[in-house]
Amino acid sequence: MNKNIILYSALLIFGVLAPFMLPAFKVQLSILCILIVLALTWNIQGGEMGYNSFGNILFYGLGMYICASAQVGMFFPLAEWTESGGEKTFVHSPTQFFQGMAFGLLLAAIIPTIVAGLIGYAILGLRGHYFAICTLGLGVAAGEISGGIEIIGAGQGFTTPPFPNVGSLESRGQFFYFLSFIVLVLTFITVKSVYSTRFRLVLNAIRDNEDKAEAMGIQTMKYKIIGWMISAFFCGLAGGIMGGLVGYIDSTDVAFDGREMGVFMVLMAILGGKGTLWGPVIGATLFHLFKEGFWTYFLGWQYVALGVLIVVIVIYFPEGLMGWLREKYPERFGEVVDEADRKAQVELK
Amino acid sequence: MKIRNIIITFVSALALLLSTSVTSFAKVVGDKIILGSAISLTGKYSSNGVHTQNGYNMAVDRINSMGGIKVGGKTYKFEIIYYDDESNPKRAAQLAERLISQDGVEYMLGPYSSGLTKAIAPVTEKYGVPMVEANGASRSLFTKGYKYLFAVLAPANLYLDVAIDLAVEKNGGKPVTVAMAFEQDAFSQDVRLGVLEAIERTGSKKVIDDKLPKELNDMAATLAKVKAVKPDVLVVSGHTKGALTAVRQIAEMKVDVPMLAMTHCDAAKLSKQHGKNSQYALCASQWHKTLTYKDNFFKDGMTYDADFSKEFGYAPPYQAAESSAALLVFKDAFERANSFDKVKVRDALAATDMQTFYGNIKFAKGGQNTDKPMVLFQVMCDGDKCENKVVAPTKWASAELIHPIPSWSKR
Repeated sequence: MNKNIILYSALLIFGVLAPFMLPAFKVQLSILCILIVLALTWNIQGGEMGYNSFGNILFYGLGMYICASAQVGMFFPLAEWTESGGEKTFVHSPTQFFQGMAFGLLLAAIIPTIVAGLIGYAILGLRGHYFAICTLGLGVAAGEISGGIEIIGAGQGFTTPPFPNVGSLESRGQFFYFLSFIVLVLTFITVKSVYSTRFRLVLNAIRDNEDKAEAMGIQTMKYKIIGWMISAFFCGLAGGIMGGLVGYIDSTDVAFDGREMGVFMVLMAILGGKGTLWGPVIGATLFHLFKEGFWTYFLGWQYVALGVLIVVIVIYFPEGLMGWLREKYPERFGEVVDEADRKAQVELK
Repeated sequence: MKIRNIIITFVSALALLLSTSVTSFAKVVGDKIILGSAISLTGKYSSNGVHTQNGYNMAVDRINSMGGIKVGGKTYKFEIIYYDDESNPKRAAQLAERLISQDGVEYMLGPYSSGLTKAIAPVTEKYGVPMVEANGASRSLFTKGYKYLFAVLAPANLYLDVAIDLAVEKNGGKPVTVAMAFEQDAFSQDVRLGVLEAIERTGSKKVIDDKLPKELNDMAATLAKVKAVKPDVLVVSGHTKGALTAVRQIAEMKVDVPMLAMTHCDAAKLSKQHGKNSQYALCASQWHKTLTYKDNFFKDGMTYDADFSKEFGYAPPYQAAESSAALLVFKDAFERANSFDKVKVRDALAATDMQTFYGNIKFAKGGQNTDKPMVLFQVMCDGDKCENKVVAPTKWASAELIHPIPSWSKR
């Protein structure tokens, strides 16, 4: 237990000090936090429950649009803000900006959660590939539909309120970093505590054999929906923050960015090891480092490198880094290996 | 519980790695002035991103080889740090932040497309970094009160409104019916606004108003409607892919329309790729090689065309020309400011009033170039050889507009 406390406090201190230690990397660190949140929440479906969802991007995008719309709509007419690609300029006072952001984030968390409940009720009955394809469609459809809604800027995009002139040049970066860091901590605590209850066992039972789980009297649908709603809550928050951080929302490229974010969240969870608590965190961190590195030093070859990475993961680490470590050093994961039993099995073969 | 040790080691290694990788360039290193740019080298804008990059590189080489930039009695050379923004606004904003706060860049060149410029402008504005951009034409960029944004091109709403005026003129001053198909992106939707204003001004009527998805690969549904409704003008805008798709499918479906007005014909190399199928297409352009503007570096449009073709193996579309012009503007501003101070350079940029091979450049208060009109050219074929010929405005016209377009059965 002691070591746990040391680890968590070390991480927390690192998280709090990071923007001061690495002031130039604030934006990348904020994005890293968001990526970890997305990977952690995807893992609830993809890893623990065995439902490969490509639809979590829906909640992320919804959160983004909702947060920005609320932040503008609270103080100014939203339709005029977005008209003609945002030609008119209204300026938020600092109080308006922060109030709007707080209220926007609240809605950005709640509405996607409700949506997840409703959609989940409708489609979580699908299994395997059918569920994956269906959720893939959800993300794509949301992108196309939002690209046609005039009040949120349609194809012209939505410029989110600029950060007010308070503090120094650094304050914007720090504000968004700490916001995303807080969400990351909240997500981690929630996921960790949920995983320590019966809930995780139910999800795993659904993954391993859903019919059997049902036969045992588990209301699988209920748990599946609750799981998805938890993911939606944090995806929505992550989206809301990302919208403010990027400053410009485009329907298919920023908000419902299934092609990038939607795929990355899956990739990160798999890279780190799906179905583990730390896997998505490590996966997202490595992925982000890898991506930033390759996108800087191997310009022109970055997608080749990404492709190689995917192939390497699939062939050599099908269970992800954590899964690989677990296989190599099972005793470090608290698994008891009976040496005599293992030898006996080997000899039998 | 040794797994905890692994994680602790991992985290500390990560922290160490991050902290040692903080390398900061300065804006001016030795005799080099470092400019930064996020460019679409991959993704849906990659072909135009490359045109932009080629335009930048061509001008950097030319300026450096012709004596460089003289500031404070010393000679400097341009160098550009590029990153790939993947045609994604989120990535572009992130890269702008990175160029400024990590690489220490203090002067920026724009990305390709309005959407990406919209994502980058708030960042450069926040840090007070002057950005000269050549490929973000959306009108809303210039109404935001940005002080550090300068665009060498005319805003997007001026692209095709002239075409509507032209159609009305050819119709004996009577209103026309217009079919519109625009991609759902910041630039094309802005072109649409310009066309809508022209429709209102001339009392014309819009009969089709379709929004098309990004990365336009199919517009058969719109064209089927056009066949049924028979409008006087068909307006299409959707970057390079939109132009290619429109011309391909119009030819396949033999859609007859008296006037076809488009954007990005030269970036799509329509006259080369589609030859006679692209004949009679009317295209909005920021620049054409036959325009008679001049400067000391590229001489004039024809010379630029020849030099660019020699270097990169294809004729320069206007996206390349305007990108080259952006560097001429920067050079001029640095020399007039005679300083590397961001504010002084910004003030010098605001006071720009010059002629380049690409056109006159003078910035209005919002940062847009108001001194350079758009031109319209039409793809005209002589036998199998097709060429773009300027038809409007009359001052630059080298050919007479062919109107109406002969029907497919008579070609």
